[in-house]
Amino acid sequence: MEIGQSAYDFELPGVDGKTYSLKDFADKPVLVLFFWCNHCPYVKAYEERVLRLAKEFGDRVAFVAINSNDPTQYPEDSFENMQKVAQEKGYPFPYLFDATQAVAHAYKASRTPEFFVFDEERDLKYHGRLDDNWEHPNQVRHEYVRDAIMSLLQNDIPHVSHVPPIGCTIKWKH
Amino acid sequence: MRIELLYYPECPSHERALELIHEALAQEGVSAEVAVVRIDTQTQAEQHRFIGSPTIRIDGRELQPQPHLPYRLTCRTFQLEDGRLAPLPSLSMLREAIRHSEGG
Repeated sequence: MEIGQSAYDFELPGVDGKTYSLKDFADKPVLVLFFWCNHCPYVKAYEERVLRLAKEFGDRVAFVAINSNDPTQYPEDSFENMQKVAQEKGYPFPYLFDATQAVAHAYKASRTPEFFVFDEERDLKYHGRLDDNWEHPNQVRHEYVRDAIMSLLQNDIPHVSHVPPIGCTIKWKH
Repeated sequence: MRIELLYYPECPSHERALELIHEALAQEGVSAEVAVVRIDTQTQAEQHRFIGSPTIRIDGRELQPQPHLPYRLTCRTFQLEDGRLAPLPSLSMLREAIRHSEGG
């Protein structure tokens, strides 16, 4: 998905039993949509950081996690296990299951985690990784998603629009 | 000493894993044969008892074995000393494993 393109709409079930589409997040000026899963160690390495960010900006920014992995090959990523993880970790954002993988294909997502930050018109303004150091949280120098959020909340354009995502590949169905 | 690094190329951690192995060997002052094995298919994953990338075996002993997991093509998780979950072991975990193996 190219910078400037509009967000694709979807209709996906969340772990809370509700069904979500883009209109459910229309009251927030910024949307952070990210591909996520349970089993990937990069997701686990970033989990606390994403939770902190979502709690910090949750009143002004909609965070939406989407799991598109094939649970037949990766049972940890099943809907039931998504519900467990979301409850155990207290996810403050909807965690949606893309069972057909159509949403991942539409967004041309390839990794978990992979972040897409949209402005108020839901045009893509940042795509890629959360920050520049998955390994050492205390040595992060550039927080790309946070910077994009801050810029958009100030009606500015993010200085960095794309940094290749780092993580596990999305597990496609065969 | 023989160290095997088994990796799945779509998981981005293997280059850093190899660096960590060499750093750990250098810091421990130990020489070892380091064999790098690329895993591309599910069949290879099963043949090599590969639960994810990177898998590191020191003299045949797997670093942080997780026997409950299936053999498959993905990244694997390590639990660090402070409890965090990460795609790679820490340098100190590798050094400890090398020391342990050296000590017999």
